Amino acid sequence: MRRASIWIFLACLCIPSFALYRGEIYSEDLRIQPLRDGRVSTTFSFITVLEGAVPRNPKALGQLDESQHYALFPLTLGQILREYAITELHLTLNAGKWNYDNWGHPHEAGVGTGAELWAWMGASEVTTVDERWSGLRNALSGLFCASLGSLDSRRTLSPTVAFPLSGSTPTFAPHELRHASLPSESVCTENLTPFLKLLPCKSHAGLAALLNPQKVFDADWHGMGIHVTWKEDTGVELKLILQAVFNPVRTSTGKRRDWNLQSLFDRSIERSCPVASSSSVTVILPEEKGYQITPENPAHVNGLVIYDLSSSSNFTIPSNIAMYWPSEHSFQYPLPPLTPVTPLSVKRIIHGTTQTRGVLSISVTNNSPQEISAGYLEMMPALLTLWMHTLKVEVNSQIRNDLLSGLKYHPPSPQSNDRLSPSMLQAVLTIPPKTTLKISMEVNKAFLKYTEHPPDAMRGWDLPGAVFFPLPQSSHDTSSSYDWERIYTPTLLVDLPTPDFSMPYNVIILSCTLMTLIFGSIFNLLTRKWVVVEIQE
Amino acid sequence: MDRIRGFLMRPRRPDANVARLRRRKQLAAYIYRNLTKLTSALFIIGYAWMLLIPIPLLSRGTYIDENALQPAQVNTYWNWGNVHTADLQLYQLDGIRERNFTSEQRAELFRTEFSKLGLAASIQNYTFSTSKGTISGNNAYAVMSSPRAAGTEAMVISASWLSTAGHGALNLRGISTVLSLAAFLKDYSLWAKDIIFIISDDYLHGMHAWLNAYHGTIPSNLHTDPLEHTSGVIWTALNIDYSSHSFSHLGVFHEGLNGRLPNQDLINSFRLISHYTGGVPMTVYDHLEPSDSVDRSPEQSIFPSWVPPFIQQSPQLQQYGYGVRNVVRHIGYQARGMCSGVHGLMHQFRIDAITLFAVPADGPHGFYALGRIVESTLRTMNNLLERLHASFFFYILTSPGTFMKIGMFLPSAILVSVAMLFKGLGEWVTAGWVYEMSEASLKGNETEKPSPAKDTWRNRRRPLLSALIIVVATHVLGVLVFNLVCSRWFAEHPSFLAPTIFVAVSVIPPILLPLLSTNAPEAAPTSMLLKSSNLCLASTVISIMSLLNFSLAAMLAITMGVPLATSYTSSSTMTSRLRYAGYCMLAWGWLVLVPGEVESAIWNWEVLGVWFAPFICIVYAPLVMQAAIVCLQGS
Repeated sequence: MRRASIWIFLACLCIPSFALYRGEIYSEDLRIQPLRDGRVSTTFSFITVLEGAVPRNPKALGQLDESQHYALFPLTLGQILREYAITELHLTLNAGKWNYDNWGHPHEAGVGTGAELWAWMGASEVTTVDERWSGLRNALSGLFCASLGSLDSRRTLSPTVAFPLSGSTPTFAPHELRHASLPSESVCTENLTPFLKLLPCKSHAGLAALLNPQKVFDADWHGMGIHVTWKEDTGVELKLILQAVFNPVRTSTGKRRDWNLQSLFDRSIERSCPVASSSSVTVILPEEKGYQITPENPAHVNGLVIYDLSSSSNFTIPSNIAMYWPSEHSFQYPLPPLTPVTPLSVKRIIHGTTQTRGVLSISVTNNSPQEISAGYLEMMPALLTLWMHTLKVEVNSQIRNDLLSGLKYHPPSPQSNDRLSPSMLQAVLTIPPKTTLKISMEVNKAFLKYTEHPPDAMRGWDLPGAVFFPLPQSSHDTSSSYDWERIYTPTLLVDLPTPDFSMPYNVIILSCTLMTLIFGSIFNLLTRKWVVVEIQE
Repeated sequence: MDRIRGFLMRPRRPDANVARLRRRKQLAAYIYRNLTKLTSALFIIGYAWMLLIPIPLLSRGTYIDENALQPAQVNTYWNWGNVHTADLQLYQLDGIRERNFTSEQRAELFRTEFSKLGLAASIQNYTFSTSKGTISGNNAYAVMSSPRAAGTEAMVISASWLSTAGHGALNLRGISTVLSLAAFLKDYSLWAKDIIFIISDDYLHGMHAWLNAYHGTIPSNLHTDPLEHTSGVIWTALNIDYSSHSFSHLGVFHEGLNGRLPNQDLINSFRLISHYTGGVPMTVYDHLEPSDSVDRSPEQSIFPSWVPPFIQQSPQLQQYGYGVRNVVRHIGYQARGMCSGVHGLMHQFRIDAITLFAVPADGPHGFYALGRIVESTLRTMNNLLERLHASFFFYILTSPGTFMKIGMFLPSAILVSVAMLFKGLGEWVTAGWVYEMSEASLKGNETEKPSPAKDTWRNRRRPLLSALIIVVATHVLGVLVFNLVCSRWFAEHPSFLAPTIFVAVSVIPPILLPLLSTNAPEAAPTSMLLKSSNLCLASTVISIMSLLNFSLAAMLAITMGVPLATSYTSSSTMTSRLRYAGYCMLAWGWLVLVPGEVESAIWNWEVLGVWFAPFICIVYAPLVMQAAIVCLQGS
């Protein structure tokens, strides 16, 4: 009797997790795309939708919140979102440099190196946006084991044009944006584990079973993203993204570009996630022929092969999905001249070898036969001072200031805690077809107080990459432009004037000697009594 | 408070003050009386110290200062398959040497080789314009973006087309090593920094053009396009020079332009790696240690052949001789501001770099050892979390395992400079006094008490103006000569213009000198004031140079120390003319005596920006000329 009641109790506990909870939909997808340089790009997306849910009204922050009952939506994240009344949240943690020229645009735009966090919040008198931003940073940094807590006022800005609300705009309060990035943040297993814990099936079933840290973190590029948006007609959507670019040519013995799920991840999908409403693997087929893909699937749609893995479908889980080039002995890299895959390619460097000044130069190339207008955003920590009067726009070494418009520049502003906010430079560039536009401006490097230097002072300071973004289009001229998303340039490392911290003993001796000399002689002069002394010969 | 003040300001006994002032006076008088002894002692100690620099007693063992480096602590993966790749590359390079490929064709070939590996490769064309015409070439380079790395830092492996070995030796094996390393290194995901492979044209100017383009510091006489591919900040670099068919030792060349040196940690780590990973002993330059070169001692010994064998074979003297060769070679590079290899161009961009020179021999090492050593060295450089900053930047390598700290060699030049300063100040004091005969006291204006001595010392004015005019004029003359030497005319007719300039600069001062109004008889003579200012100026120059470039300061101390201190006005016209001619020879003699050096110094200045040529023309020669004019003045 006693045993039976325990069984019944356990069964009751299990029912909600196996039955699809009303109002919560979970779906997962894996996109695999072979790239032209032999690499394979993989994008996992895990989407949970809370149907009919509405972000918390920040004006009601003082009052008791409605109770939170989720079956699939992660409670830890839900609590953070409710606690700080976040309408939209984007967090990305990436390692490596996304190679737009060879890999094209990523499936998820946030590929800036390091950590990037931005959130839209409604304004309220109860708790200010900045207070909630600070709380959000610290909460997320605890949740994801990342140093997001250091994204303080020295790194926070509000670039609303480049990072607009991607969902609907709630009407209950005017909304504000907070954006910060930390280029030196490195991403590793300790970030992946909490990421997997947010999934309903963790890494036990479904596509997430493939996420083997040893393989994912050996990829040429990897990154994860958490995106929370609100859409009026559906509700709150949580999108967990994990992207990785594998290099089978490097890891295979015969330098071939053949890949299969087993070789990429060293894992296989044993069972599907029972709560997933849809679960699929999509392979984007390359344009050139000569490949073979197994298992054969007749469902070729627009160069895509889709394998449905969900338990509801009658398709059995394929043990392995593989693609191979039977006629190729070893992979031959395409030889130059190579045209970049993306219409825009961007380079950004800091020139100059001194520790006091330099030149920031950006070159943007339009590879397409059409004119492209792009927004250019620079969010520069106050370590560098940009000199706007030296801003030069050149095309073929001719000054073309007419190609730059809508220039907005906010110099670093002092904050209440005696720190400087970053400076923000935003402009619209018009790049003629098949040309390279060069922007250069002189910069001064800051002279820091010695307490402001990090422990690895001789490394230099990481500067976040610039962002190029499509301009908000009015509806009538969408036909002329192509569809693209934000482009991040690689981050930079800059040397600031650094004292020699490695020789504290010498520094102490030298400065003490100097102090003693100055003090001694002045003290001597102050306390001396001046008299005339007669000396007889 | 008052008590404290009273305590601090308690009056000294008057006689104590008097005694103190007397003591001070006596000391000054003592120094002045023994000035000659003092300066001679300083000179002797200084020069003797310079001679003692190579003795093992003053050196100490090298050690690794930066903990992150962890040299020779990794398993290397370079294997015989990679050696085979290198051999195939070498076969291809031999082919292009036989077919006499042009610079463009070579660069195109290297670019294709890099592209086949999937690296972002490109070619840089450049042209330098100099007074001797234009120099152009083509560099090929490739950037390997390391997996997962942000690409903010980079390491460089380079090889130049020509080898350090000279005589037109081609660095074919060095280039094959770089090409095969590129194929090998890209298969590993452990790199935290980007790796840049460069095959630079010619010997020095190719890399110079590439570095300037990379850092955006393109000088006005260089024409080149911006680089197509870039990476992050370059911290460390290895240049590979392997021209012979096999090698017995790996020599390290480390001197950079204008006397800069790389951080010593790089050399020390390389020494450990070379020894423990590759089993190849490291040497300084291509000098083999006495213990290594038993069979080659005749051509490597510093002793002339008439020295008895028991002296030649004494281990201490052999060790000293080995030290002398290293130090002299080091001073030869550093004093002239020359770099000892392609790596030396990088130091000015804060890149710590060395050249690995495969010392030609019949064996036993080749690509296998070199590949393993370079791989392991790259792993060590890859470990760096910060720039190399812990170890020394000022040092002299006396042998692979020993070095001298700055405190052990700097005093030698400083002592000479102090001696010159004392001499100059002594001259200044002497100029301020005149010895008067007793007639002056005879004239006697109501001096009741008879003076104890009949002769007296009297103060006199020291008008510096005419001496200063001479100083400024000589330096202006130096600037003029420098501009002439760097002009197109000089490049076209050096054999005619060099003697002409030499005669002109030697003859002009005696002609112009009478135009200068001499000082009034009651004032100090210009020659004394000139000598004093000359000595003080030269001493300051030596002290300052000793911190920037010790070798140059030591050479200045040797060439200017005693000659400037012993310049004096001779009573006989003949002697003073002869002395003048001698000083002129010391100042400008290089124009006629070493035309080859002049040419290379000008090339170094125009293309590489080495400060040696302007320094000699504008600072050194005018200083010696001032001493020459001192000799001329009394006559």
